[in-house]
Amino acid sequence: MIFDSYEGYKQAGFKPKVCILGSGPAGTTIARKLGAAGIPVVVLEAGSREFSDESQDFYRGKTVGDFYFDLDITRLRFMGGSSNHWAGWCRVLDRQDFEPKAWAPDTGWPISRADIEPYLKEVHDILELPDFRPDVPVSDDIRWVQLIKSPAVRFGEKFADELDRSKNIAVVLNTYATELIGDGKRVTGAKVWSNGQDAGTFSADYFVTCTGGLENSRLLLWSNERSNGGVVPNAAALGRYWMEHPTFEGGNAILANYSEFEVDASNEAFFSPTLAAMERLQIMNFGIRLIESPYPNVKKLIADLACTAPNMAEWMSSQLDQRLRCAAQLYVAWEQAPLASNQIELSKTDVDHAGVPRIELHWKKSPLERRTLIEGLKLFGTTLAQKNLGRVRIDDWISNGADYPTNEETAGHHHMGGTRMGTDVLKSVVDANCKVHGMANLYVGGSSVFCTSGQCNPTTTITALACRLGEHLGKVIAV
Amino acid sequence: MSRFIRRISRRAIVQALITLPALSLFRNPPAPANPDEIDRDEIVEINGWILRRSDLA
Repeated sequence: MIFDSYEGYKQAGFKPKVCILGSGPAGTTIARKLGAAGIPVVVLEAGSREFSDESQDFYRGKTVGDFYFDLDITRLRFMGGSSNHWAGWCRVLDRQDFEPKAWAPDTGWPISRADIEPYLKEVHDILELPDFRPDVPVSDDIRWVQLIKSPAVRFGEKFADELDRSKNIAVVLNTYATELIGDGKRVTGAKVWSNGQDAGTFSADYFVTCTGGLENSRLLLWSNERSNGGVVPNAAALGRYWMEHPTFEGGNAILANYSEFEVDASNEAFFSPTLAAMERLQIMNFGIRLIESPYPNVKKLIADLACTAPNMAEWMSSQLDQRLRCAAQLYVAWEQAPLASNQIELSKTDVDHAGVPRIELHWKKSPLERRTLIEGLKLFGTTLAQKNLGRVRIDDWISNGADYPTNEETAGHHHMGGTRMGTDVLKSVVDANCKVHGMANLYVGGSSVFCTSGQCNPTTTITALACRLGEHLGKVIAV
Repeated sequence: MSRFIRRISRRAIVQALITLPALSLFRNPPAPANPDEIDRDEIVEINGWILRRSDLA
């Protein structure tokens, strides 16, 4: 069932066991799992079926620190959530991403990749993915990895009919849960705002917040403030350890044989470090994306090489005569070190139309990440040169230690952390089952539970974790 | 302190130190590297390029 208003939903008299906040990839997946298990579930979606400026306005906020996107641009507030502007790149976090790293504090998850692997077949069906091929070692240091460009499932569109037909799932649009009410042990209700006004308190046995990698922290911070710590009793890490995938053009590569790296329809190939290389260089994970260079850029690149290595340039020039595809731009996206100081706070001065404080995001890239960028490009360049696969030129701003440019990709619009998973209540918000520490009936879905970010796009892992949480919650309720 | 150092004046020590670098001028310069001994596969970084030494003209 899909209701366009909270009033319409109330008239239907549906009695849910579980209340999910948000209808993005996590919320929709958990709802479908519970619905399939015969558990009545309601999904409260703050936006409507389509994009609107009015709805997006609730997402405005402020960033302090490094340059970042406007917070009302980097996510979407309508049915299907941010899957509506997702590019479609898929890959699950690497096994090594779940492991603690001695050189990077606060890394490591309380679960391993093996804990989500049983759900990957389901994830492939949801995201319409073919099987991934195993990573291909290029050297002891570099892996050729696969990111699949999926059809970019829009969860609202894809599952609208199924949700509408479901007897166990009620999706209620234009219904904004402004705060959860808790007594330090349980969530007792959610305050609802609909049609521009307070619409009372909503009750259910279980609550799952799936409002996104920024909004989950905002909702819980505000709820906790209003309930005097009754929603997240152990709140030391709430809003903290927020992460993105900083993304910048890092240089260019001339390739001896571009087709050696069989690429997909988008003509892009991806490379990551081995765990041994990360450990040796004490760097984070990263992904180098090869994007085919336009012809004029290739000529300019070869002219530049001619100043340094004329013979090599001459050889490349002859290669260029034989094939058009022989050079690539290198985009680097890397894993951020999880830092408590990168955090979501509530604004002290600015509120949305419902009176909920807006987000003040504190975000800075660390020296460890800068080293990851430089060493990562050197590692890739060294591998290509040693294997005679090509040659890399690192961009001047990186070699010269200049500031990050502000006119580039900047980051991946991947919002992770803030309600991270863990066993230490001082450094995490949820346990290995995504249940808020100390609370009996409050769970968190989505990338806000990520402990580390790895290098790849988060949607595949979000969906796998949502399948796992849906199954777990179904078992808890069945007992 | 040894008797030897006590016997020489501080001025003599300073003069000796000043002279030391000059002495190196009269030493034979190191022999140029044998081309056979240059590692042509060595990875070098020049003007942002990561190259093999053999790439350089």
